[in-house]
Amino acid sequence: MPFLHERLPNGLDVIAETSASAVSTSVGFFVATGSRDETDEVSGVSHFLEHMVFKGTGEISGDEINHRFDAMGASANAFTSEEDTVYYASVLPEQQDEAVELLAAMMRPALRDSDFDTEKLVILEEIRMYDDQPPFGADDRCRAAFFGPHPLARSVLGTVESITALPAAAMRDYHRRRYSADGIVLAASGAIDFPALVESAKRLCGDWEPAAPDPRRVPQPPRLATRPGTERIVKASAALDYAVWMVAGPDEFHADRHAARVLAMALGDSSGSRLYWSMVDTGEAEHAACLYQDYLDAGLFVTQLSCAAADVDELRDRIGKLYAAAAAEGLEREEFERARNKLASRVVLGGEKPRRRLFDVGLDWSHAHTYRSVADQLRLVENVTLDDVHRVLQAWPLDAPAAAVIAGPEEVG
Amino acid sequence: MKQSLHSTTLGNGITIVGEHLPELESVAVAFHAPAGAIHDPPGRCGLATVTGEMCLRGAGTRDSRRLVEDLESAGVQWAQGVSSTHISVSGAMVARHLPEVLPIFADILRRPLLPADELPAARQMVLQNLAGIEDDPAHRTLATLRRLQSPAPWGMPTEGVSAEVEAIEIDEVRGFVARHLQPDGMIVSVAGRIEWDDLVRRVETLLGDWPATGTPRVATGPRGPAALHVPHDAQQTHIAVGWPQPPYRDDASHEATAALAVLGGGPSSRFFTEIRERRALCYTVSAGYQTSRDFAHAVCYSGTSAERAQETLDVMLAEIARLPGTITRDEVDRVKARAKSGLIMQQESSAARAGAIARQWYHLASLRTLGEELVRYDQLDVAAIEAWLEAHPPRDLTVVSLGREPLEVRHALPA
Repeated sequence: MPFLHERLPNGLDVIAETSASAVSTSVGFFVATGSRDETDEVSGVSHFLEHMVFKGTGEISGDEINHRFDAMGASANAFTSEEDTVYYASVLPEQQDEAVELLAAMMRPALRDSDFDTEKLVILEEIRMYDDQPPFGADDRCRAAFFGPHPLARSVLGTVESITALPAAAMRDYHRRRYSADGIVLAASGAIDFPALVESAKRLCGDWEPAAPDPRRVPQPPRLATRPGTERIVKASAALDYAVWMVAGPDEFHADRHAARVLAMALGDSSGSRLYWSMVDTGEAEHAACLYQDYLDAGLFVTQLSCAAADVDELRDRIGKLYAAAAAEGLEREEFERARNKLASRVVLGGEKPRRRLFDVGLDWSHAHTYRSVADQLRLVENVTLDDVHRVLQAWPLDAPAAAVIAGPEEVG
Repeated sequence: MKQSLHSTTLGNGITIVGEHLPELESVAVAFHAPAGAIHDPPGRCGLATVTGEMCLRGAGTRDSRRLVEDLESAGVQWAQGVSSTHISVSGAMVARHLPEVLPIFADILRRPLLPADELPAARQMVLQNLAGIEDDPAHRTLATLRRLQSPAPWGMPTEGVSAEVEAIEIDEVRGFVARHLQPDGMIVSVAGRIEWDDLVRRVETLLGDWPATGTPRVATGPRGPAALHVPHDAQQTHIAVGWPQPPYRDDASHEATAALAVLGGGPSSRFFTEIRERRALCYTVSAGYQTSRDFAHAVCYSGTSAERAQETLDVMLAEIARLPGTITRDEVDRVKARAKSGLIMQQESSAARAGAIARQWYHLASLRTLGEELVRYDQLDVAAIEAWLEAHPPRDLTVVSLGREPLEVRHALPA
């Protein structure tokens, strides 16, 4: 799978992982902006802007964007996270130029007041939807408690208050600052005509202004200032308790990130892990998992638990002991190898879908100007040793004081 | 595109369907046993689901833990699930692991240990899942619609009913396995990097001498009422609307599903345009198609703030009523483009293809090539869809709401 890269004079990177056997073409604009790049006054603007990008440009209406994607037979969408805003389309190869043309035009949206006011209502509905469903906001609150003053504390959606108060002018200003040529990567995967892709980029994006954005990594002490303790969200109608807690892990540039993934897999994958056998297989928990998440300058081990309210304290305690035992005694070799095999298999199976590769390739480049093939990724996983995992267990103790939030039906005394 | 599709039926009624996808490293396999929730006896809603869970708790020479660990050591991304018609186990893996994995799946279906001491945990796991569903308003709304508009027992929740799950005993699980977990009507579907002849030999060796006992018939009963409000204390109200459609095996399903796609199948659909883009009434709105072998339904869904729910329902019903006689060529062209590229892109996923060919065999008892599917879409046009809609306008609607206040069905549609 050849990798190709070209940088336009204005700093826009065009990259592609091409595959001779692919039947689809995926293209996406990866904008290096997300909730961590916001301030209190514009909390939620990155995600709201992602919606507004689909409302049209000076020449193309929102309806026309939807019609054109559907007429291409495109599977097109977008997402916003703490660190990235990504717009993408998967199409048949003959639609490559048209898909790039439409996506490129969308990156310069009109941001009309009338559309802004209308779409604000949709955003508020989206916030209410997540508010009404598990974990009932516990994940956002826990992130805020864990990160404290660090920008990763910010919620992607924002709040009803911040979105209601947001003026359209603030969004226009944010767009002008964050959607600069040198803050965007045009990535592609699958059956790609790379010369045509570069040609499209020059024609459609060549006049975008660069802005030399500020560095996004925030120098951190070795441990983030956590505020241990448990917050409670009361949802009277909830059937179960939903607990989330977070401790620090390696960031995405750390050599131990792959060992951290293997560790989370062994301890807390949704099947076959220590958490699974301890409380999911027994029917005591509806869900119990440990996830590793990495960011530009921070990493997290997130533990999620849902169970009957009466059991939450006991099961949290049990998970704490299970983490402590892992740190004290390490993993068994067979258990470690099984976790590593599972991860390797996910890399291979995920790697054969060009639509999935787009995100790996685009995000790696956007964050680190790095390309890793599926074979590179597989090697990184296969090179993880049991000693690496044990080092992670010591360096990033999972039973360290955590930021924790429980959402559930009752207030505990 | 050259496509290599295969099917063969063994003497005991197991059909193996396969597709060779030479560009992939992976293979996906699924075993679908005709032992789904429609066979739950009265008062034991959830027996098939508990049985499916019990089948993983030890099989052949492996105990519960060894079974999962052996699958996962081979890097298998496995799943077990129960639908109204089937208990299924499936897995996707790097192709070289298939020979060691097939015997494990065969054991799960053919030689489950069903240990009595595992039943409390299996039951409890199913009850936990039911408690989780209580907290999922969209799932509850759609499950309620399904229950109302399907004839019994097809509409019963496959996940079970708590009070009935609690009462399930081990002898009932063993009896269910003896009656229903048998080869006649079972589908084994495999897609990806496969060698067909070798695969058939392996499955035949594992399952060919399993005697068939025949599939019990299911008696269908009446359906539920046409409207229901489910009280739920939350900010949003959830709405589901459905009506009868031709099943997948009926040729007319092609026109019917195209009309539904015009209504609510993508960002340029009428629902999305009128309800979300124009009026900003909601974040989620869609119209889709749900089919059993003998009947099918349209399924429309939206969730929105309580105070905007009535308007959302009003616009949904108005758009449903407006559909016949108004479909444009552009709309049909977009539906065709989406469907065709979706079919072609499916070739990049072994799991998607294994699912698709199993569904085709279940509904049609044959496999359609990609070429045949694409030709069917080429032949679709406004006149055919309108002719079908004129003869079968949306009627006999079922409306479900879940939220603080009930909604009023104001729009007049043919009863």
